[in-house]
Amino acid sequence: MVAITLENVSKYFGETVANYQVNLQVTDGEFLVILGPSGCGKTTALRLIAGLEQPSEGAIYFDDDRVDGRSPSARNIAMVFQNYALYPHMTVAENIGYPLKVRGFSPDERDEKVEDVTSLLHIEDQVEKKPGALSGGQRQRVALARAIVREPTVFLLDEPLSNLDAKLRQEMRSELKRLQNELEITTVYVTHNQEEAMSMSDRVAVMNQGTVQQVAPPQELYDRPRTAWVAQFIGSPPMNLFQGTRRNGSIDLGEAGTVDLSGVLEAKEAVVETSERDDVQSTALLASDTQGTVSLGIRPENLTLASTPPPSGNVIEGRVDTVEPMGEYILVNVSVNDQIVNAKVSDRTVSRGDRVYLTFDTNDAYVYDTNGDLVA
Amino acid sequence: MAEDDPLEPTGIDAGSGRATDHDQYLSVDDVPDIAPTAELSWRTRIIESIPAKRRALKYVVAITIAVLWIVPFIGLFMASIRPLSEIIGGWWHLEGMTVTFENYYRAWNYSTAPMGQALLNTFIVTIPAVLVVMLLGVMAAYPFARFEFPLKTTLFFLILLVMAAPPELIAMGNFNALREFGLFDTYMGLILIHIGWGLGWVVLFLRNYLLGIPEELEEAARIDGASRYQIFRTIILPLSTPALVSVAVIQFTWVWNAFFFPLVFMRSPELYLAPQVLPLMRGRVQVEWGLIAAGSIMTMAVPVLLFLFLERYYKRGMVAAVAD
Ligand SMILES: Nc1ncnc2c1ncn2[C@@H]1O[C@H](COP(=O)(O)OP(=O)(O)OP(=O)(O)O)[C@@H](O)[C@H]1O
Ligand SMILES: [Mg+2]
Repeated sequence: MVAITLENVSKYFGETVANYQVNLQVTDGEFLVILGPSGCGKTTALRLIAGLEQPSEGAIYFDDDRVDGRSPSARNIAMVFQNYALYPHMTVAENIGYPLKVRGFSPDERDEKVEDVTSLLHIEDQVEKKPGALSGGQRQRVALARAIVREPTVFLLDEPLSNLDAKLRQEMRSELKRLQNELEITTVYVTHNQEEAMSMSDRVAVMNQGTVQQVAPPQELYDRPRTAWVAQFIGSPPMNLFQGTRRNGSIDLGEAGTVDLSGVLEAKEAVVETSERDDVQSTALLASDTQGTVSLGIRPENLTLASTPPPSGNVIEGRVDTVEPMGEYILVNVSVNDQIVNAKVSDRTVSRGDRVYLTFDTNDAYVYDTNGDLVA
Repeated sequence: MAEDDPLEPTGIDAGSGRATDHDQYLSVDDVPDIAPTAELSWRTRIIESIPAKRRALKYVVAITIAVLWIVPFIGLFMASIRPLSEIIGGWWHLEGMTVTFENYYRAWNYSTAPMGQALLNTFIVTIPAVLVVMLLGVMAAYPFARFEFPLKTTLFFLILLVMAAPPELIAMGNFNALREFGLFDTYMGLILIHIGWGLGWVVLFLRNYLLGIPEELEEAARIDGASRYQIFRTIILPLSTPALVSVAVIQFTWVWNAFFFPLVFMRSPELYLAPQVLPLMRGRVQVEWGLIAAGSIMTMAVPVLLFLFLERYYKRGMVAAVAD
């Protein structure tokens, strides 16, 4: 098992910048998920680690060995492709045995190992079939079996669950996680599904436009999104961001109201001080009474709806636009300054057109500066 | 509750009255395991299978064209199995028809150019010309489909250009070249000519087919640890079987039936190929139609049998090559 390090890795396809100065460390045995919107370069990053592409700039290390330039087979990795890439002319057993066959294992050894993994993944009954005769979930298992059969040191998966239905995806999610725990293989898993990312990963690397935005454990990613972009990417529905003007230690949100910035700052102070970032500057920024625009972020689940203005605290005023009952909760879309704000509530007390007041705890508020960086 | 705002569903209590209306739904047990078969009497089935007038008309037209197409072959076949005296008046007179294999027997052993020997000669030329073209073709097509190398497009264009050249013109150059190499009037020379002419379309055809094989499969194999050669042998070749069979069938027919090339490059009568021998069977006094017909049928039979034998393979290959 190895640790993977990407050092300032960039990949260009002609004029397209697929990856730009990616720095990433995957520790030994870790389950790292690369999460990002479509086209942000996740697959490219994975293929660089696999050796299917060579970086235009930068270096890739497995432990202390520099591996860029080495062929995929010299890296002892296994990869599961999005459409599984099973060999259509071979049976399931031949597919799984193929990596062993080309590496010169004897037929007996091969059969034994194939038997082991097929029983581990519960596909013993399918071994004589061709991939074309299998269901999506079974193909997925065969691809996994082929990947783990020769005990690779790195396990790479490119959106392996995206072709499955919701129930099967749920099942495979826990199975994959269990498998990874058992085998303790360093795993990089690419997805654009944040639920998958949050539930399976040890850490999540959020990518956008070819570069890494934040690498953090799922809970931290949710609790402290480093930039406004990450904040809006994580969570469903995404975090509400209000544009406002800083004035005398508070944020003016126009007609909707004013939020006392010092309250937000105070609540965050403890976190700011303990975090690694150099936040002296941001504290100064908040305390000073220079003018400027900032964004105030609050998650839908942290907003409370009231029909009458509450006596104190931070209040944002708006009008109910639509109400969407989701079963588990009710999503209320409130129009604030022509912007739609999502709030998750548990009872249905408001209806379209009602004037409502949104309140929140200062603990749950985030402030981002004009660059989109978290300041409090 | 009828005028509810469409944006506001009617709340939880709206469904409370439905707790008991199970009869609205089917249980899964009610779903039949197999689709019901339509039970029709023989009478209705026969009536339904008789086509309507318009359909019938289309059938008549189609069958007529098919018959017109096949008539010459029927004639040839009839001529080959009847004595000359009977076919002189026209093969379509069926009264007093005698079936005989005399023509086949005589054609096989025909004195100046026995068909038996000619067929054997044709095999000697055709089999290597087909096998070598398949092997070289797939080996050339693979890089064109997968690798990047300098002058790739130019080279590919050249191959296409060669295909466009008229054989009758180039044959002059081929003739001189073969003379100089001492390959004139040898099978080796003829085989090389056929390989050269076949390679162009085979490379084009196989390249298009290989482009349709997902690159992901090869990447998966690379990750699994296979070398380039192993990938070619264990992934690419098995997956291109349909295309290779198509190539084999078409090239075989082409080489087998070729008349012009043997005519130009083969001089010794004992080396003559089947299509060359046919005109020699005319006879001196009287045209021996029966002999020519029997010889033609024997010559044709080989590619036709091959077609039938390999049909299920090359059909898939053609569809795939066209689809991509
Ligand atoms: N072989 C290639 N040639 C040219 N451009 C490429 C190539 N591979 C990827 N790209 C480009 O690089 C960018 C990143 O692609 P990549 O496949 O890594 O995205 P992704 O994050 O995996 O997206 P998705 O979630 O849709 O799979 C895209 O703009 C894509 O067009
Ligand atoms: Mg991708």
